[in-house]
Amino acid sequence: MANLVHIPEQKEVARKTPIEIFPDPKIAVVLTNQQSGATNVPLVKVGDVVSIGQKIADVQAKVSAPVHSPISGTVIKIDNVYNSCFEYPTEAIYIENDGKKTKAKPLNTIKESELASTKNEELLKIIREAGIVGMGGAGFPTSVKLAVPADKPIKHLLVNGAEGEPYDTADERVMIERTANLVRGVRVVRKLLGNPKVIVVTKESKVEAVPKLQEAFKNEPDTEVRATHLTYQQGDAGMMQKAILGYEPIAGKRSYEMGTIVQNVATINAIANAVFDGEPLISRVAALNGDIPTPKNLMVKIGTPISEILKANSITDCGSVVVGGMMMGVQLATLDAPVTKRTSSILCLNKAHAKARKPTACIHCGRCVSACPIRLQPVAIYNAVIKGDFKKAEKLWAQDCIMCGTCSYVCPANLPLASNVKMARNSQ
Amino acid sequence: MFPKKFNKPPLKDNTSFEKVKLMSENSNELVVNPAPHIHGPMTKNRMMQYTFFAILSTLIVSMVLWSQVTTPSGWNLGLTLAICTVISVGLAVAFDFLIGKVASDSEVNTWSAAVFGLIVTGCYTLGFPSMAIGAEMGVPVEAPLAFYYVAIITVLGLVVFKKVMGLAGRKFVNPAAAAKFLVLLPGTAVTLLTSWHSITGMLSVPSLNGPIGLTTIVGSNGGGAGYPAFGGYLQSCYQLPTSMDIGTPESITQIMLLTKYHGWTGGACSIAVIIAGTALFILGRKYFKWRITASFLVSTAVLSLILSVAFGDADLIARLLFELFIGSSIFMAFFMATDPATTPYSGVGQIIFGVGLAVLTVIIQTFMGFFGGSLLALLIMNLLTPAIDKIRINKPFGR
Ligand code: SF4
Ligand code: SF4
Repeated sequence: MANLVHIPEQKEVARKTPIEIFPDPKIAVVLTNQQSGATNVPLVKVGDVVSIGQKIADVQAKVSAPVHSPISGTVIKIDNVYNSCFEYPTEAIYIENDGKKTKAKPLNTIKESELASTKNEELLKIIREAGIVGMGGAGFPTSVKLAVPADKPIKHLLVNGAEGEPYDTADERVMIERTANLVRGVRVVRKLLGNPKVIVVTKESKVEAVPKLQEAFKNEPDTEVRATHLTYQQGDAGMMQKAILGYEPIAGKRSYEMGTIVQNVATINAIANAVFDGEPLISRVAALNGDIPTPKNLMVKIGTPISEILKANSITDCGSVVVGGMMMGVQLATLDAPVTKRTSSILCLNKAHAKARKPTACIHCGRCVSACPIRLQPVAIYNAVIKGDFKKAEKLWAQDCIMCGTCSYVCPANLPLASNVKMARNSQ
Repeated sequence: MFPKKFNKPPLKDNTSFEKVKLMSENSNELVVNPAPHIHGPMTKNRMMQYTFFAILSTLIVSMVLWSQVTTPSGWNLGLTLAICTVISVGLAVAFDFLIGKVASDSEVNTWSAAVFGLIVTGCYTLGFPSMAIGAEMGVPVEAPLAFYYVAIITVLGLVVFKKVMGLAGRKFVNPAAAAKFLVLLPGTAVTLLTSWHSITGMLSVPSLNGPIGLTTIVGSNGGGAGYPAFGGYLQSCYQLPTSMDIGTPESITQIMLLTKYHGWTGGACSIAVIIAGTALFILGRKYFKWRITASFLVSTAVLSLILSVAFGDADLIARLLFELFIGSSIFMAFFMATDPATTPYSGVGQIIFGVGLAVLTVIIQTFMGFFGGSLLALLIMNLLTPAIDKIRINKPFGR
């Protein structure tokens, strides 16, 4: 039996707030690297004039995804900036907006009617050139993920619309407002994977999205919309396979080995935009929520500094800003950090909530053990890590941690369990 | 000890990029901690508060029940219990505070100390001495001597077993149980040496190592172990001292479940303990180790039934009532065996712990004639906890 901890959703207002288009930034700070995999190099230099959608960073490597300019203007600087993708400052291209909105040549597109006759290689090439990466937070290049070896038949495509993170509502709004686009995107992915069965997984608490999805996917072949009760932890790809398909994916194996691909709705939305409309990934929907009076869902250009978003919404009094979800996201050290392809939400905590809870001694209550969705023993790993015994941590399967943060969430002694387990995991 | 925070990177000033001052204007730093950034509602203090009020409610029930009894020394038993409670809680909190002030590496933990104080009183034996069971050897069961013993156990338990052991990283034994055992050892050691007792044995308790029954009529058991009139023992030991009832199976059952006027103060009313304990488990869902309680109670019941059949008891409930509902079993099952620090953290470990505790308790009470032997069983199981923690049955997800 799975251990699942309910975490309050805190989405009541935000989930009813339509997506609002956030104005283009005056200066865009576009990270050269927003993906996992090979390191990109800038294709532009200071002084260059770029247009919207122009490729500005790329690298020739198998696991890679290029980056495009979100605005038109002049490159004024290439410098390191602290950001939400890495724990240290990384390279970013600063582009000053000229307000002309000149567009670069769009990507190759295909017509919807031609989808069936298009070669997979061609679709994957469009997806790669559009710079699409997993937008749920992982940032793995989607073109690589969807390039499944021919000898590995895919039986199921799970469209991940669970959005388990509390406070996050961006995916939910995409499902409500871009439903038709999602249908197009699912068709592309389904074609790429050799027509597997499609299950659109969402939570029954998304009352507005569920009927929309059911209506839109009604006539799609071999497709099912499954609105069930899912906890936060079941938004993870592995946990979702267990919840929906009933098996536990073998640890350490690539997802396609199990015959299933799990793809997040925001990414599918981006795939549809790229393949049919020729739009590279230069904007995304991000929730603006937390301890603020009016939560919002913003369509923002990637590269918009977080400070600009806060300023435009007159948020001045927070103790910390979390990017990417309360449970798994990072707290920003500076507000210069820009929106990236992986920024699903921008959450403000007031000073009282931001204050770190003081860790005290473990009382050995065992709650973290019963809460870990993948049945680790966080307290044992924690004890090994603070002694520096990473060998022991490995024996306790620290490397399997999905970094969901549930252990820290429940610990009555406020111990930073998740971050320690993560440390052990990353040291493997 | 804790992971270092992300270092805040230096901001370069020579930029044409409009520097953001939004929050740094008031020279406020942004808080940066590792994920997650929200926390569940349960904290250590809250757990301790829940436990405190659960135990307190059972003690209040005992006080009310026992206020009907006046012991030979002239003290009202309910009042004695109230004073014991105040002494143990007061001393525990005071010493906790003092140690917290003096020793820099010890945190003041008022609620935890208060719970400890309640447990010291709850597992202390009070009652009307020299009844059918004869002299209570080494266990001062009435005021004013009881006050001194409670005070000594509290201070010893808090200082030695709670604080000093806490310095060693983790507590190995339940502090209240260990302190009580140590203080009363001179009086009870003798019972550990005897392999079995009859009514004339060292602790003057009947032997369970043979057939027993709920009857109150003393009959012959053929000279061997066992005590056919065990029901009579229970009746006379636990009933209202002023009552001269002979007792029936019904009245004995009622006494064991509802009103015992002797024994562990916390367990005077078994039903009250069960209600308070269950309420605690429901309130603090998943934070309390209810599996220990459940597995202990179930295996104790099963073992008693097995022994009843094996010994050829006159009925099946005499042993069951005794093993399950004497104060030392019922109070310990809910409030001492579930002490987080000294028990296993995994669900499987907790079940192993509960079963082991039941086996040891029944063995000690049956073959060693040490009624209240759950205390010793608990200490043994506490010491085994680190080993039990190593047992892993379920592998991680997808392994
Ligand atoms: S963060 Fe890792 S160790 Fe903690 S509960 Fe999640 S999976 Fe388990
Ligand atoms: S939840 Fe916290 S206090 Fe409880 S066992 Fe785990 S680390 Fe210790």
